[in-house]
Amino acid sequence: MKRKALRTVWIVLAAAALAVGAAQAVFLLRHPYFRKYAAQNGLSLREARKAWGRPDGISELAMGLAVESSLENWDRVAALAAEDRTSEVGTYYYNLANAMRGQLPDRLLDYYQPFERGLFLPVGEHSTPFVIGCAGDVWFALGDMVMAERDAMLGLIFSPAHKGSRYVRRLAETNLVTGDREAASKFLRMLLDGPRRDRKWAEERLPGAWTPAVERRIEGKRALLPALDVVHGMDQVPLILRLLLNANPGNRMALDYLLCYDLLTKDLDAFVGDYVPALTASRLYEEAMLIVLAAKGGMNEENLVRYHIAAETLERFNRFVTVYRRDGGSGRNLGEFRNTYWYYFYYAVRNE
Amino acid sequence: MNRVGGWLLAAALLLLCACGRMAEVRPVGEGTDRPSLMYPDYRDVTVPCNLAPLNFYYTAPGRGRFATTFSAGDVSCTLRGREVVWKERRWKELLAAAAGGEVSVVSRTGDVEVRWAFRVSADPIDPYLTYRLIEPGFEVWDDLEIVERCLENFDTRVISDWRHTGNRCMNCHIHSRARGDLSLFYLRGEGGGAILQRDGKLRKLALRDSSMISPTVYGEIHPEGRYGIFSTNTIIPAMHPVGGRRMEVYDTASDLVVADFDANRMLTFPETARADVFETFPVFSADGRWIYYCAAPVRPLPAEVAQLRYSLVRRPFDPATGAIGSPADTLWSASARGASVCHPKASPDGRRLLYTVADYGTFPINHRECDLEMMDLETGEILPMDAVNADRSDTYHSWSSDGRWFVFASKRGDGLYGRPWFCHVAEDGTPARPFLLPQADPHFYDAMLRSFNVPDLGKAPVGFDAEDIGRLLRDVPAEVFE
Repeated sequence: MKRKALRTVWIVLAAAALAVGAAQAVFLLRHPYFRKYAAQNGLSLREARKAWGRPDGISELAMGLAVESSLENWDRVAALAAEDRTSEVGTYYYNLANAMRGQLPDRLLDYYQPFERGLFLPVGEHSTPFVIGCAGDVWFALGDMVMAERDAMLGLIFSPAHKGSRYVRRLAETNLVTGDREAASKFLRMLLDGPRRDRKWAEERLPGAWTPAVERRIEGKRALLPALDVVHGMDQVPLILRLLLNANPGNRMALDYLLCYDLLTKDLDAFVGDYVPALTASRLYEEAMLIVLAAKGGMNEENLVRYHIAAETLERFNRFVTVYRRDGGSGRNLGEFRNTYWYYFYYAVRNE
Repeated sequence: MNRVGGWLLAAALLLLCACGRMAEVRPVGEGTDRPSLMYPDYRDVTVPCNLAPLNFYYTAPGRGRFATTFSAGDVSCTLRGREVVWKERRWKELLAAAAGGEVSVVSRTGDVEVRWAFRVSADPIDPYLTYRLIEPGFEVWDDLEIVERCLENFDTRVISDWRHTGNRCMNCHIHSRARGDLSLFYLRGEGGGAILQRDGKLRKLALRDSSMISPTVYGEIHPEGRYGIFSTNTIIPAMHPVGGRRMEVYDTASDLVVADFDANRMLTFPETARADVFETFPVFSADGRWIYYCAAPVRPLPAEVAQLRYSLVRRPFDPATGAIGSPADTLWSASARGASVCHPKASPDGRRLLYTVADYGTFPINHRECDLEMMDLETGEILPMDAVNADRSDTYHSWSSDGRWFVFASKRGDGLYGRPWFCHVAEDGTPARPFLLPQADPHFYDAMLRSFNVPDLGKAPVGFDAEDIGRLLRDVPAEVFE
């Protein structure tokens, strides 16, 4: 009798363990990025759930964007971003993925754009820890290692355990790029003490052990570094981008980010000053220049050639103006222009 | 059999742990933050006779066997292993045998033998150190705490933290003349204030009146305890895109004020509240009859931040009335030196002034060139500090109560995280080679991602803890100053 009861207890316990295991497996299958993002923040699943709660579809997607971006899987980032067209983080990674593939201006207005906050995530008292942890990705891609390092430090500050390979890798790499070998060595050592995937990553970046791919990567980033030491505020985005361009006028990504920043903030004077048609081209820029030329009386052949404005864009602009005037600027019947800069310029309103 | 199996398993686990400890430390050597054969590098340093054990580890590559023999007088001790970790009793025996003399050390691994030594000063150090633990940040913070460490062992005690204060910002804790019963720090934000510990009582003070630029920022308590001298600053953080300085912080306005803790009054004086001069970092002289502070002509900022240079100035102070007087003496001229001074601190014996010198600016913690400088107050002579300074920022210093030791925060090594270093000052003012605060685990600093901010020495433990601070914040309104 006693044996039978014991057996029943064992069976119940085994069934419970199986159920817990199965639930865990289902959870992991449904939330693969939650697990990966937790690991990047140095957290076990249990710690991550305690810190962030149970993930929903939106947070799983956001974590997916952060994880795939850290791995620089830009096609995957773009694919994930396509599923989220309502958040600043979604837009931020959508823009970054497009920029990494040379398509930032071409695809900018195909997507929800919350003004400049979709290009550079705001970092401040009201930012969420998740947003702060993502904010440095664009600076690292652009070549500003000081801003990238700042955001990695802030990521560490606001990660639940104040650690995480996501940030430590970035700190190691920004310092390798700037040549601060002492600082880099601290972070490499921490990674060498971590899980195998981090150890391998750090091994490849140890002094004297750089693979050709690592060397190319570091040298590529070094080529983007600014050269002028102009002290700037942390939110002076245009100035930071201009400093990058001052050192490297060929930094196409920085130029596109600057021009898109000008356009999303509707600062057309700044756009005209920053625009160099010989260095970048996009229908978006043509559309913006047409507003400028129309407003300032410069709609002539010389300017159309100078700013590389296609006949098709001009013809479309004329159609937009006709409908706009006909309907008194009400925005009716402008559906075909929804992804143009003209529509954005006249109808986008800040939600603040 | 089962018991034997258990013991074997435990032994195997212990062995595994030991093997983990034996693992090679990488990267090390020239160009890394672990350039020496040991970390922390205690070769040729001078330590006080009441210090906790100097635990360290060897950075040498490979998995060799290590043996370290320490000898002083008739005491000799050999410790084996890459990690040199002392038992407290044996360490105390060694220190007692070496007090006022030297400890000879032989480090051996394989065929390699290195002989070195460290000195043990007969001057004890004030046994308590307070510091704020903070991650290098940029206007934001999370999980701050102020800790008090006993330097005679490895005990620490949290005296204020984020748990009891709603995760608010808190600034560093300073003792007055290393007194455990007279000290001050700030809790920022709504409901906060300056936390003054005096006469066995904790008070929360709103050190601000309508004429001030901001609540008080930098400052010090008068030796007699009635007055405090403070700066009031508009502080702007900014970034350096190149040059490794990372963040630059400057003031766009700053004045000096005196707080009367007995009468709850703020006193301002036209001489130290000039619109055309930035005045900051005020402190008292040892006798409390002078104030030292830094002053620079106002400039357009940040455009001319590289030309912003502060001089070291002294003015008379009347301890009876709390008045700052005239004339002002310039002890150290920024224009003559082509550099900028900050953080002056007078030694409690009144003989010396320790301060920081950087190429420019008022926030040198990211200035690699920032070094400590010491002035003999009797002769005005500047004493050599080559033994103390490193190629990274050395700043935020504080004196021991007898003026024979000082502690400072240095970013030597990785350049990012401030660590507390201690320096002995001989009778003639000669500083010894400084040493890093020892820890129970010699690998402690490897994984540490927080800075030890504003380390400050104390003769005795402060009379409060984090719970007291939580209660003060929650239950007591800040006293208003007029």
